[in-house]
Amino acid sequence: MLPDRPGDRAARAAAGLPEDPEDLSPGTAAERTRLAWARTAIAFGAVGLAMLRREPVAGVLVLAATPLIWALGRYVSASAPPETRSRRLLLVTVAVTGVAVLAAVAAFIGHGGPPRLP
Amino acid sequence: MGAPGNRAVRGGATSGQGEHEAGRPGEQDAGRPGEQVGAEPDVRFTLANERTFLAWNRTALALVVAGLGIVQLLPPFPGVPWGRHVLGVPLIVLGAAVSVTAFAEWRRNQTALRRSEPIPQTLLPRILVATITGVAALSAVVLLVSAVR
Repeated sequence: MLPDRPGDRAARAAAGLPEDPEDLSPGTAAERTRLAWARTAIAFGAVGLAMLRREPVAGVLVLAATPLIWALGRYVSASAPPETRSRRLLLVTVAVTGVAVLAAVAAFIGHGGPPRLP
Repeated sequence: MGAPGNRAVRGGATSGQGEHEAGRPGEQDAGRPGEQVGAEPDVRFTLANERTFLAWNRTALALVVAGLGIVQLLPPFPGVPWGRHVLGVPLIVLGAAVSVTAFAEWRRNQTALRRSEPIPQTLLPRILVATITGVAALSAVVLLVSAVR
């Protein structure tokens, strides 16, 4: 986002526009957030596909998380209670941490193999 | 989260419901989880906070994949059999750390928004810069050791 220059606000006010361009269409914030969820789900899918070739079990597990993330993003709601929102984001954190654990296990006992000491 | 945070301070981020509660967080919020204190902020700030969290998690996924790619796809460094693991595993660990820290920061920011307080400074860019610089330095060391042996 471009920085807010001092003249911008005055120019917008003089033109009769709201101070924040988002006020023209507040719904775009929800749409952008839905798109961010979609990008995150696609990232999960890409990681799952990348892992699938060398670590099929880990790849399938990560791919299984993709529709879950996608579904969580479908329920972006301004009226969601705070604890629901918190739980939904906690699920994403657990999923990403789970992918990291799978990757670490794969790095040591998968195709990478354990580091061989000289 | 800089922009919403600044606006929250300048113009007040709360939606107007129960704003009087936000002024006395200590009395009203005792025993309540962080994301339930104060008043419900403007939904645009809440959504911006959520998008920042998601962006950090995509960064975390990219770090994990980069780490796994280094371990599994790079050819072994001649004379340095542990080289790929030394470079890849820290990136995988950083990925997990970024995700957990992003959640903690999302909660902290949400609490600040609900209380109409300034957004706290984020640690994540510093963690990211320090680890990536460390891995870059390690890469140079591994390559040098590999070239010497």
